Amino acid sequence: MRSARLARVGTRFITAATTAVLLAALVVPGASAQGKGDLVVGVTSDPDTLFPWKATQFQAVALLGLVYDSLVEFDQDLNVVPGIAESWDTSGDGMAITFTIRDGVTFHDGKPLTSADVKASLDAILDEETGAVQRTSLASVASVEAPDDSTVVLNLNNPDAGILSGLAGGPNLAILSKDDNEEGLSAAPNGTGPFAFGSRKPNESVTLVANDAYWREGEPKLASVELRVIPDESSIVDGLRSGNVQLAVLNDPLVATTAEGDGISIARTPQLAYHVLQLNHNRPPLDDLNVRLAIQCAVDRQEVLDTAALGEGEVVGPITSPAYLSDPSARPCPERDLEQAQQLLADAGYGDGITIGTIVSQGEYASSVNEAQNLQAQLAEAGINLEIEPMEIGAYVDRWLAADFDTAVALNGGRPDPDVQYGRYFPSTGNLNQIASYNSPELDDLFARGKSSGDADERKQIYADISNHLEDNAVWLWMFSSPNYSATTEGVEGFVPMPNNSLQYLRTTTVQ
Amino acid sequence: MITSKRIARTVAEATVTLLGVAVLVFVMLRVLPGDQITASLGIEAGMMTEAQLDALRAYYGIDQPLVVQFLGWLTEVASGNLGFSQRTGQSVLEMTASSLPVTLELAILATLLGVLLGVPLGMLSASRPNSRRDGGAQLIGLAALSIPSFLLGALLLTLLARILRYNPNAMGFARPLEDLGLNLQQMMLPAIVLGFALAAPIMRTTRSAILEVKSQDFVRTAIGKGVSPLRVQVRHVLHNSLVPIVTMTGIQFGYLLGGAVVVEQIFSVPGIGRQFLIGMQQKEYAVVQSTVLVIALLFLIVNLLTDLLYRIIDPRVRTG
Amino acid sequence: MTTNEAAWLAVEEAPPERERLWRRLMASRSGRWGVILTAVVLGLGLLAAIGATPYDPISQRPIDRMQGPSAAYLFGTDQFGRDILSRSMAGVATSLQVAIVAVIISAVLGTTFGILSGFFGSRVRGPVNALTNILFAFPPLLLALALASVATRNWFTVAVAIAIVYIPIFVRVTRAPVLSLREADFIKAARVLGFPSQRILFRHLLPNIMPIVIVQVTLSMSWAVLTAAALSYLGLGTPPPTPALGSMVFEAKNLVAIAPWTMVAPGLVLIMFIVGLNLLGDGLRDALDPRNESHS
Repeated sequence: MRSARLARVGTRFITAATTAVLLAALVVPGASAQGKGDLVVGVTSDPDTLFPWKATQFQAVALLGLVYDSLVEFDQDLNVVPGIAESWDTSGDGMAITFTIRDGVTFHDGKPLTSADVKASLDAILDEETGAVQRTSLASVASVEAPDDSTVVLNLNNPDAGILSGLAGGPNLAILSKDDNEEGLSAAPNGTGPFAFGSRKPNESVTLVANDAYWREGEPKLASVELRVIPDESSIVDGLRSGNVQLAVLNDPLVATTAEGDGISIARTPQLAYHVLQLNHNRPPLDDLNVRLAIQCAVDRQEVLDTAALGEGEVVGPITSPAYLSDPSARPCPERDLEQAQQLLADAGYGDGITIGTIVSQGEYASSVNEAQNLQAQLAEAGINLEIEPMEIGAYVDRWLAADFDTAVALNGGRPDPDVQYGRYFPSTGNLNQIASYNSPELDDLFARGKSSGDADERKQIYADISNHLEDNAVWLWMFSSPNYSATTEGVEGFVPMPNNSLQYLRTTTVQ
Repeated sequence: MITSKRIARTVAEATVTLLGVAVLVFVMLRVLPGDQITASLGIEAGMMTEAQLDALRAYYGIDQPLVVQFLGWLTEVASGNLGFSQRTGQSVLEMTASSLPVTLELAILATLLGVLLGVPLGMLSASRPNSRRDGGAQLIGLAALSIPSFLLGALLLTLLARILRYNPNAMGFARPLEDLGLNLQQMMLPAIVLGFALAAPIMRTTRSAILEVKSQDFVRTAIGKGVSPLRVQVRHVLHNSLVPIVTMTGIQFGYLLGGAVVVEQIFSVPGIGRQFLIGMQQKEYAVVQSTVLVIALLFLIVNLLTDLLYRIIDPRVRTG
Repeated sequence: MTTNEAAWLAVEEAPPERERLWRRLMASRSGRWGVILTAVVLGLGLLAAIGATPYDPISQRPIDRMQGPSAAYLFGTDQFGRDILSRSMAGVATSLQVAIVAVIISAVLGTTFGILSGFFGSRVRGPVNALTNILFAFPPLLLALALASVATRNWFTVAVAIAIVYIPIFVRVTRAPVLSLREADFIKAARVLGFPSQRILFRHLLPNIMPIVIVQVTLSMSWAVLTAAALSYLGLGTPPPTPALGSMVFEAKNLVAIAPWTMVAPGLVLIMFIVGLNLLGDGLRDALDPRNESHS
């Protein structure tokens, strides 16, 4: 009978539908067939570019570092390790480096990577028309050759001990396909990294999906990574608490320290960036060594750290890279010495005190204005009147670039190699030497030797000498470094935070 | 009367206003220190060679003389091209088409809430001025509604997320057509927060306007004639106090278009306020200029509607 | 006699003397509470202005960080060891400074433009409207940011930024009743009688819209304080370490989970301030309205 058949069909349909629904419900949301998870990372803004050679913003660099590879990379101890290049060989005179490109590396669009792509990328970065922000890392390169598909040779103008560290500069030195151009890549990134570009909602989120053809076996361990934009850091913490967000890198020490607990773990990682009071030697009386030393001796750096950043961090000297770390007590006044400071001022002929200004950016990082305020309070006791000029970041950058300041409260980026970190500031030929406002023949000589030396121990000594020179001449007032805070919820394993803020170990991260 | 002459005048006024806004925003952006290069590179901009900087300026479209930039932008806008954002890889038109409805939805919900809260409270408080009911309603109402919106928002968010583990706003914004349920949940807290902030001025304007009207003779006449108090309330009192209430509501709604930024920040709502703010931070001139023009245009439309509304309510007001 | 004629006559009488105004103000519940609350807050601000706070609001005592309320620190200390009560008092002074300057500028300019625009013909109205509309259509933040960035940021530039933002509101709020009143019999009568425009404006029009302006002034004061707070949230307010009520509350929002007292003092003072201003506005409106005579 028709009705009976209908009933049977109906029943079968219902059974099938129910089974389908049950199966769908059983599939744990977010887990792919291989059991890999989906991770949501909370960020305060979305990347300001998708083109790797122009990325300087934290979120852009972090994201693009997952999509693109460079010739070499840093491991968690900041040693240079193979990337796209599986090995390299420096010629005896240091004037040429030969890289062997590993086999089996493919771009996300399927094309295999060859030395031609490497040569095209490096050439493009060197071309000023491109506007690559880290072009100066390749300043020593005279030419790039690709004799065969697996070999790239860099011919240098002069030996450069820091060039490998410079080449590990993350997405700014990324290797792109020679067939891609900036316009195309800004819409649809195409790299060789552990994650491929999935989709993007501007100002809302960017989603990356696992690259199953990634050249590192067994990685990545996640199915996807979503960078979700939550503009307010405490709202990110709320997201972590409710479990909607599983990982975040926090900057404000106040937010980070109050976030701990209740399922959220905070890992503190010392950073290479350093807080400093830059002095402008072109502005009297800062050209007088005694005045600068007076400033040095009047300040207790630990107090600045305590009052401005809740004590979260370490007092540092000029060099923050772990392999070349400066000794913070190797300075004229390791402890605050108010009498000494006043004596130095009097010796310089300023027994009645001096007045100097400082520019401070507002809103760029949490502690800037508080640092200035504490410096002002401490210096006042030595007769040094510090006038604080807080300003919006745009105004600050303009003044800074024009070296239009007596002093500047700054948070400058650090690099694993001290030549890359300070080669821009203190050699008289450095791009930013005008702003650093100090150089000397002795320092020039030290930097030249440090750059050309291939001996690790020798370089350690050279940079120790540089550090001492900078401190003895009170070039700048180096204060402290602060950690960054990686917050993870329960179930997130295998994430290793990096001292240079890279998120590269998301490739070894798993989530339940 | 709505004559074609009137329409022509309105259009002319609107064009002049928009032109003025365009000039003002263009000039202000150029007066601000920094440009898109320093905004995206920060102090790293010092590392670029002059040739690189030239290339970047051409890339961002800021290498031309100012007048050329201004006229070029205006002509593009006139033809519907609001500019391009290198940062997002989208045209400003696309970005705005995506963010404007979000803010509109939020503004409408918040205004509804504000009116639903403010007008009855205002009426309640005006029904017996200086009585205990008035005092109680006033004090409690005002205190609750005076909590700063960002404070209320942040507190609510933290409480719900911590205690109830409920945080729809951390779940990636959902558009109404995609997932209406989630969208409404995400709009709920920000609309409440904004609605509270709106309700205070609306309540006070309502109270003040009603008291103003009630003291007039024609109301006392109606009561004397035996018209029921409710009818007096609604038909005579409320109707006549509508002008200031509508004015205030219109102003508040208009302000919400650009002014919901703080709430959009706290609750991760990708509205036009945030689009503008990010454009400002990144010094993306095209984005900021065109966004301001769009907000200004909307503002004018809202003004027009409120004008029409109270001309309907109070026929004495002539077009002049 | 129509209501309008009655109103006209009422205005023609001498305006209420101060004493009677004060008594009327205190007679209404709103007025009484408004005066009390505002006076308390003003008092705190004045004490801070002359330096009579328990501790220096700016200097830090890291040893005493994050302490709850105690005998030594009535409302506890913040993350830098600063006394919250002293900072709240100083915050009142700063916020008052900004709010008063901002509102005076915007009220004077805005009311003038509103009256002119509502009363006079299209010759005056056109340009005034155009300017007002341009300002009105402008997102407040851009103005604030521009003014804050062109010069070094201090309380005055913040106040000017807020003032410019609120001028259009005064224009709008005064223009509507002026448009209505212009057609009122007693105004028409005055014009027919040949009264000079100035006299009409100041003796007849202005007193009639005064209640509205006063309500708006008190509303704007509280908005100014809140706007300054919102600007602080976006990094554009009075620069630290100068305490301002809004920025204190904003900073405390991160701490509220572990140190709730950091929110209590500034939050309470802020709410008291805003509520007090609002009530004062209501009370003033009631007290100034000549027609209320028959009611109280």
